Amino acid sequence: MDRTTTISWIFLVALTVVTLFLSGIRQNYAALLIMIVAASKFLVVGFQFMELKRAHPFWKFLIVTYVVILTALLSI
Amino acid sequence: MDQETIDSANLYYPPGGILLWIIIFLELATFGIALVAMVYSGKAEPVLFHESRLSLNVTYGTINTIFLLTSGFFMALSVKAAKSGGKRRARKYLPATILFGTLFVGLKSLEYHEKIVAGSSLGYNTFFDYYWMLTMFHLVHVIVGLVILVSVYFGVNKKNGSTSIQDIEASAAFWHMCDLIWLLLFPVLYLTF
Repeated sequence: MDRTTTISWIFLVALTVVTLFLSGIRQNYAALLIMIVAASKFLVVGFQFMELKRAHPFWKFLIVTYVVILTALLSI
Repeated sequence: MDQETIDSANLYYPPGGILLWIIIFLELATFGIALVAMVYSGKAEPVLFHESRLSLNVTYGTINTIFLLTSGFFMALSVKAAKSGGKRRARKYLPATILFGTLFVGLKSLEYHEKIVAGSSLGYNTFFDYYWMLTMFHLVHVIVGLVILVSVYFGVNKKNGSTSIQDIEASAAFWHMCDLIWLLLFPVLYLTF
């Protein structure tokens, strides 16, 4: 089994569990933290599973820009 | 173009193919706009959205997230196996990919059944209108993805089949897109309101 892919999967599952704990926080910043974790998972799937890490910088820029803008819009 | 000659670093050949990436960004834009609309609707009815959100089963949502991530993990392994040892090696991990995708559909169906029995169906309130529209639209993509994966599995099983490594990579990109969309839907629907 590919080591990097396996580590990415463990990291993604761990972040999912972290998200659950964050949802228990009753503070205004909790939603922002949850969305930042979701954005991180989004980028791990994009760069590792979808292999965007090997793609042209244009595609990397596009996916990062998308998730940053969306996270900002959803957290305001 | 043969797989051996494809350079993913080329602007016109992202992993999975440029056409699929155009589709992926169109899908991401569509879901993104819908999620932003939902968040802004939630600001108009904060109590209703909060109470409706609390009625969703977070455990189901979390388990389904893990199902999709695990399915995506096996899909990524399938692509790597096909690239390193030939397309027929993708057969090793594709059944697990399909299994976890099917588990997602099964658990989502159970969740839908419970919501319908509880009377929280489409039209119940604004929150559940978004919930049903977004999750059902996503589920349709998952089902289409599963059909593609089953087709790819049988394609690579044939000794002289026409399924190429690029086909496997394109189906993987579509499948991972379902992951990406769910990773955005899950926190907004189940956790943040």
